[in-house]
Amino acid sequence: MGPGWRPFLVGAAVVVGTFALAQAQVFEPSVPAASAVLGGDVYRGETVFQRECASCHGPGGEGGDVGPRLVAAGLDAATVTAAVQQGRGVMPPGLVSGGDEADVVTYVVSISTP
Amino acid sequence: MLLADVSETYTDLVTTVFSSTIAAKAWLASAALVLVLVQVTTAARIYGRLTFLPERGPAIARLHRWSGRVAFLLTLPVFFHCVTILGFQTPDTRVALHAVVGTFFYGVFAAKVLIVRDRSLPRWALPTVGLTLASMLGVLWLTSSFWYFTTVRFGL
Repeated sequence: MGPGWRPFLVGAAVVVGTFALAQAQVFEPSVPAASAVLGGDVYRGETVFQRECASCHGPGGEGGDVGPRLVAAGLDAATVTAAVQQGRGVMPPGLVSGGDEADVVTYVVSISTP
Repeated sequence: MLLADVSETYTDLVTTVFSSTIAAKAWLASAALVLVLVQVTTAARIYGRLTFLPERGPAIARLHRWSGRVAFLLTLPVFFHCVTILGFQTPDTRVALHAVVGTFFYGVFAAKVLIVRDRSLPRWALPTVGLTLASMLGVLWLTSSFWYFTTVRFGL
């Protein structure tokens, strides 16, 4: 095999290494403990939150014109789940459901933990 | 515990500037894409195309090298977040395409860097791999940053 193959072999090795690293998800255990309890994914929940909730609660839950600040608000999973499912104030019920609900509840609990 | 500390430090650091880690990824990837467009333009000039641009020479070559270096550095936080935190996921077509192309991205990048210094390969190898790499970043940007800006929010 000639030296011309070297870039492609190295490239292939990097691809395999990247895939292995991605499969390992080495930092997944650092996701807040709420994930394990709620079964949601805090990082997917962040995306759902930015899409569905941030217009009222502000980016990252920092508080908006309509919705209250959620960061460090000390909300537990039951409270957040009830708000999502039943609505609260001007917040309509069922804004998110299914997997998105579990993800966003996990995310909100993670940011509201002081 | 150490892993948790690293991830939390990363999140704390990123959210001092951006509203979320997702927003940070979207903007860093966008900046990298702009620099990759500079890369493609300067490479075309180096290969004798785009003759309306300034004369090819050391300045164009320097701009090409530095735009590439900075673009690479900008992708590193994105790589860290995508690969070590989110991992390889295929819940829908967009994410699956992003994951597959992203997995190959640094492999093609490594090959491109080595091909630059490899004189044994045909002349078309470098621009081919370079354009492939630029196209891959374009696909990665469309399936992440563009999606974020158009469906989630456009802002820091």
